[in-house]
Amino acid sequence: MRWLALLIAFIILAGLGTMPLYTSNYIITFTLQIFMWIALAESWNLISGLTGYVSFGHVAFFGTGAYTAAILITKVGWHWLPASLMGSVTAASLALLIGYPCLRLKGPYFAISMLGLNEVVRALVSYFDSLTGGGSGITLSPMNSILPLYYAMGGIALAGLVITYWTITSRFGLRLLSIRENEVAAEAMGIPTAALKLYAFLISAALPGIVGGFYARYVSHIEPLGTFPLITTVTMIVMCLFGGRGTIFGPVLGATLLSLFQEWAWARFLYIHEAIFGAIIVFVILLMPRGILGVLQQRYRLPRIV
Amino acid sequence: MPGDFILEVHGVSKRFGGVTAVQRCSVALETGKISALVGPNGSGKTTLFNLITGVERIDEGEIFFKGERIDHLPPHKIARRGVGRTFQLIRVFAELTALENLLVVTRQDWEPSYRRASELLTFVKLDRLRGEFAGNLSYGQQRLLEFARVLMIDPDLILLDEPAAGINRSLLNDLLSAIRDLRASGKTVLIVEHDMKVVMDLAEKIFVLDHGEKLTEGTPEIVLKDERVMEAYFGR
Repeated sequence: MRWLALLIAFIILAGLGTMPLYTSNYIITFTLQIFMWIALAESWNLISGLTGYVSFGHVAFFGTGAYTAAILITKVGWHWLPASLMGSVTAASLALLIGYPCLRLKGPYFAISMLGLNEVVRALVSYFDSLTGGGSGITLSPMNSILPLYYAMGGIALAGLVITYWTITSRFGLRLLSIRENEVAAEAMGIPTAALKLYAFLISAALPGIVGGFYARYVSHIEPLGTFPLITTVTMIVMCLFGGRGTIFGPVLGATLLSLFQEWAWARFLYIHEAIFGAIIVFVILLMPRGILGVLQQRYRLPRIV
Repeated sequence: MPGDFILEVHGVSKRFGGVTAVQRCSVALETGKISALVGPNGSGKTTLFNLITGVERIDEGEIFFKGERIDHLPPHKIARRGVGRTFQLIRVFAELTALENLLVVTRQDWEPSYRRASELLTFVKLDRLRGEFAGNLSYGQQRLLEFARVLMIDPDLILLDEPAAGINRSLLNDLLSAIRDLRASGKTVLIVEHDMKVVMDLAEKIFVLDHGEKLTEGTPEIVLKDERVMEAYFGR
């Protein structure tokens, strides 16, 4: 079984790795975007799917990473790869700064505080225009080829998957799940919930930080409104919930299926495709709160490694 | 004599807004004995449990465990010092399996943890349900799972909040025998229980609370003859 899983993983990775040799630029760009959503959904899963602390401001880390990378590329002359890595450091530092007070809040209070964080970061980015370009944003020189970004984004999606696998199959992950299930009981059983939540939050923020850096390089122009939209957070939440929160492959499944669906719906229902996406959100929350893999896990007692 | 008491609660008070849940309450638990905390609904029993385990912060007073002050510590540190508890309203980890509910709380390596968890699940007769999500278990099974979970952290002091509630008679006998075994192995047990038969069966000492204050304490025989206890319970 283990060999079969490894074989399937190898075939998928080989297929994705060699895809640029035989497919169009459109497919490569589209796959790159799926990679981005996989990484973002996995990052949201790490804090919200595992601990139950619903973050409505995850795009703040994405935007922080994007701006850090863009500033380092344009003003310091760094290569986009280390600049993006520094984006993850900045995002994790922001998470450390706000995680300590905010993770003491519960339920909707934490969610709202994260929403507020996003607005604060966006306002700060607009305010410090000498560094960030204010409302006009930052423009980067276009890249000759998108392929390095394709592989980098694929790599970070894979890293997100591996980190989630490691987390969920470890006692650390089990303890995060116990926080989601009942934090008072977890704490009373000797589990240091405050520290564990903070660790999860840091890892969860570092991923969108680096993805934001890649995104800035990919789009070549970032500005506050387009880099910190609430819809980015909502999309990663829906993808994670659709596939299965607290599972390893749920965010991958959700990001892939919903990206494919959005692309299909966008091409056919230009004016109402967002309404259709909204309907999916309502459907998932009402009828399938555990998501596809969550339901399968419950019904067929699948191991936690799905 | 110092050292005879594993837990000493001195003049502890707790207020929630205008309501005083516990008022200048003092309790001392003798090491290796089973004690019971009884009193009418709202008398402050569960609040006292919460104060001892750090789930709630005390407003005044002091709590010592094995001679060291613990009332300023967070709950997980109190648990790691050797105070384990169950809850009045069951708090199992519903979307974790029965086995995972036990594995998650221990700090030992996987192998001995797994062995111990298996022993405990067998002990509470939940072994065949080890792979079942805790939320799918019956009320009584969840209570037994919670009991096994507290044993998993191997505490020196075990606080059981209404352990008999919702458990059928045959399981209850097993549970009572398990609690006696704990005592025999040197553990100290404090139970909150409304079933006076269970209390009389188990407890060597009883503390009676009423309106957040300690009314009296003593052996079951002495306490049940106390007029004030009868009045608090039956209003006469």
